[in-house]
Amino acid sequence: MKINKSTDLARRAFLRQGSALGVAGVAAPWALNLAAIGEAAAQTATDYKALVCVFLYGGNDHGNTLIPCDASHYASYQTIRNNLAIAQANLAGTALTPTIALPGGLQYALAPQLTLLKPLFDQGKMAVQLNVGPLIAPTTLAQYNARSVALPPKLFSHNDQQSIWQSSLPEGATSGWGGRIGDLFLSSNGTAAMTCMSVTGNAVYLAGHQAVQYQVAPSGAVPVRGIKTTLYGSAACAAELRSLITQASAQSLENELAIVTRRSIDTEVAVTSALAGVSPFTTSFNTGNSLAVQLQTVAKLIAARSTLGTKRQVFLVSMSGFDLHDNLMALHPGLLTSVSEALRSFYDATVELGISNSVTAFTASDFGRTLTSNGGGSDHGWGSHHFVIGGAVNGGRFYGTAPAVSINGPDDVGQGRLLPTTSVDQFAATLAAWFGVSDSGMTTVVPNIGNFAMRNMGFV
Amino acid sequence: MTHSENPIPQSANENRTLPAPDPTLITAAAAAALLAACGGGGGGGGSSSGGSDTSAKPTAAQASRFLGQAALCTSDDDLRLLQLMGYESWLNQSFSTPPAGSSWDWLVSQGYETDTYRYSSSPSDFAIWRNLITAPDQLRQRVALALSEYFVVSATGLSSQWPQFAMAAYWDVLCTNAFGNFRQLLEAVTLNAAMGQYLNTKGNQKENVATGRAPDENYAREVMQLFTIGLLELNSDGTVKTDGSGKPLETYDQGTITNLARVFTGWDLDTSTSSSTSTLTYRLPMHFIAARHSTLAAQFLGTTIPAGTDGVAALKTALDTLFNHPNVGPFFGRQMIQRLVTSNPSPAYVARVAAAFNNDGSGTRGNMQAVIRAVLLDAEARSDAALTQQYSGKLREPMLRFIQWARTFGASSAAGTWKIYDLSDPATRLGQSPLRSPSVFNYFRPGYTPPNTAIAAAGLTAPEFQLTNESTIAGYLNFMQSVIASGVADVTTTYPNEQALAADPVALVNRLNLMLAANQLSAANLASIAAAVASISAATAAGVTNRIRAAVMLVMACPEYLVLK
Repeated sequence: MKINKSTDLARRAFLRQGSALGVAGVAAPWALNLAAIGEAAAQTATDYKALVCVFLYGGNDHGNTLIPCDASHYASYQTIRNNLAIAQANLAGTALTPTIALPGGLQYALAPQLTLLKPLFDQGKMAVQLNVGPLIAPTTLAQYNARSVALPPKLFSHNDQQSIWQSSLPEGATSGWGGRIGDLFLSSNGTAAMTCMSVTGNAVYLAGHQAVQYQVAPSGAVPVRGIKTTLYGSAACAAELRSLITQASAQSLENELAIVTRRSIDTEVAVTSALAGVSPFTTSFNTGNSLAVQLQTVAKLIAARSTLGTKRQVFLVSMSGFDLHDNLMALHPGLLTSVSEALRSFYDATVELGISNSVTAFTASDFGRTLTSNGGGSDHGWGSHHFVIGGAVNGGRFYGTAPAVSINGPDDVGQGRLLPTTSVDQFAATLAAWFGVSDSGMTTVVPNIGNFAMRNMGFV
Repeated sequence: MTHSENPIPQSANENRTLPAPDPTLITAAAAAALLAACGGGGGGGGSSSGGSDTSAKPTAAQASRFLGQAALCTSDDDLRLLQLMGYESWLNQSFSTPPAGSSWDWLVSQGYETDTYRYSSSPSDFAIWRNLITAPDQLRQRVALALSEYFVVSATGLSSQWPQFAMAAYWDVLCTNAFGNFRQLLEAVTLNAAMGQYLNTKGNQKENVATGRAPDENYAREVMQLFTIGLLELNSDGTVKTDGSGKPLETYDQGTITNLARVFTGWDLDTSTSSSTSTLTYRLPMHFIAARHSTLAAQFLGTTIPAGTDGVAALKTALDTLFNHPNVGPFFGRQMIQRLVTSNPSPAYVARVAAAFNNDGSGTRGNMQAVIRAVLLDAEARSDAALTQQYSGKLREPMLRFIQWARTFGASSAAGTWKIYDLSDPATRLGQSPLRSPSVFNYFRPGYTPPNTAIAAAGLTAPEFQLTNESTIAGYLNFMQSVIASGVADVTTTYPNEQALAADPVALVNRLNLMLAANQLSAANLASIAAAVASISAATAAGVTNRIRAAVMLVMACPEYLVLK
């Protein structure tokens, strides 16, 4: 690939992505988006807010996460799920009583393993967004079948739907909506690098047009030991190591490596010392639960906000193992137990810190799954149900439209794969609005939001 | 300083004196003998491709650069061989070298076929690390590792009994088929027991109208998306085909998957001839159970398998259809280039590799040797121009850096047990470990672009950067600092070939530059590293050791080393 064509290539890549979605907003030149960011960034924050994405990699089986439990809907669920059905008797303890009842007598129960989340729903601190997934524009089943509306590309594919959930674009996207929210608040934070923080691996969700993801390990920031004092006893070698790994280079891959290294070194000391100053929580986090450990680190970073000089932060944590084509009944309950435990500990820690009204956590995943069984599990779907948790959440109820519990029903694109009735853009815009993104900034965060009449679902 | 002019030191165990023949006079048989003598594992039957190698002989730096792409380390013997034989003959000799040995057999020999280890996956880490660090058939190992990142199975995703045997058998399949035909490889992978568990072909049953059960779609989806054709129609140069409005053409839809999923029903672990411990079940290909196979017709990618077709025949038709799809050459070829040579091959380079996949010159499609030859001998791989280009090359994978360290310095397991565990922890180890991908989508995606970088602005990719962040960079450096000093478990080295050089830091650093980095460190960095190393007194044995350790660490930390150009 010839280097001097690179600008053109980048432009064409943008146009290609834009046309793939068939939306003019995405294809708008980068510079325009940056200009919009400049305008919107005038809004600076004085208070503190954190938005925490809990990504469930692999595609969570929504069918066994939120289960229809009234007699008539449960019967439909049981017939369709067959050997994947959770026994009705096991749902009694987690049946939800929303402040606004769903139509048609539909009642839902949380999976039996989500017992720690039920009190949050009951206290109005947890809302459930029903049947949310990537959409370019509102789409009916007839429009889907006729392909008469622009659809998200590469439906049902893990990596692409992860990317679309996080960024509105398939794999290869270079910014996500968490990062684009971060773009707007970079100037609110003492250290811009601490705006978008991942306690899991790299993900496009946290990359903005300017904001970069800063990664910490579940144990905190990782120091480069060899540069601290001596390397194999030699101070000269330690200094040489620092010089080598941070030096600029005309070779771009080398140079980018050095940029991340410099950020690692420069930020580590501040993060390590700030975390060291955080008092231990009374709230317990299960150290054998990797999601809980990640969220504990997020809670500590929030606790250290004054030391770190942060006002607006977007976090990402994750858990994997949800792609249960097989062994669903054996493995899914354990995963949900971990989710329940981790989210509850995190919420409790924010209460303990007196900051719960300023912290909103939400779940996301590649996609929902089929309602039908393949014998041992379920296959890739589309729409799914997700949780939003925090003191500011208008909880205790459901948002969006409950899907029919049926095969070949009005929401089914095959085997119980849900055609979403709420788009990820609407879901994201609601969270972004709470975070402080203005109406004018919203199209830079979620480019397709203009295609939807309802821009705020109201759950927070 | 011109680093390519360094004399090549003799290895410590080198006791032959090579004459300096006109390299063009070396016969294939003589070269085979030479290769065997240098630890090539023997078995060097004469190459049939002839010794009329007309390409220019590489310099030491060029040979080391080639080995950085084609092998797992640069050894003195390989350096010398390459300079004598040239690239093509070296490849031919490597192709004719049989696999070094079975990781499965090694597990048995180590006593892991006992109940204590029934649910332990770590022994396959030991076996695979051992293979990658010690096996003399370097090209095969390197290609098999690349294949393991394309046909991904991860020990982390297996929950049945004997996961270590399943993984060792899978690794054996990749090693055995690395130089064969893609079609056979695809079938071996498809029916492998570990893959069967990982992507759920094992136990997959036909539809049941009464219960509403549908076939499991996992393998049908991923065999298309990841193992053969990908999501988008491709031109032969790997660029995406578009419709009239510029929209990419997708290769398949959900209906294709629903149909193809029927083909992969009816397969399960073969327990018919299992030993008392049942480990053999995980070495045998899965077997077919007709009663569980869907008898519905299956239509996909322009092929129709009629209702009632025998399942074995249906599988053959399906795999033939996938194998013969025009996407496979550019799709597979581009990723092999990315694993071995560069993150951003030109479309013309991809087209040349795809052409070799499509036809090896004698009418055979899918000849892996032709693909490997095309990847490694392409002008874009071999030209020195890449050394000075802004976006050339690729980030070395962390696991390859560690393997290179172990091989270059002759690290070995004192007890022969090779207890190197999963090194995936990103904060304290490598953030990567062989056959331990977090998902079937590999450690990183071929299209990954690190956001907010010059690479992204240029519209280019850098897959390995998906593993690169503030934690993993520190984690790698810390891990290597420890490994260089004290090894991993009982896998250690005393740096026998470097001891004598420690007195002369410039010579020491020059040798490391050649062996580890194909002389790609800048003169300024070589000088500053040598000066820092020289500041350690070599008056004591400990000082000598620290000089060597520091020099190795500094080279392996340097971005000029970390980016394989």
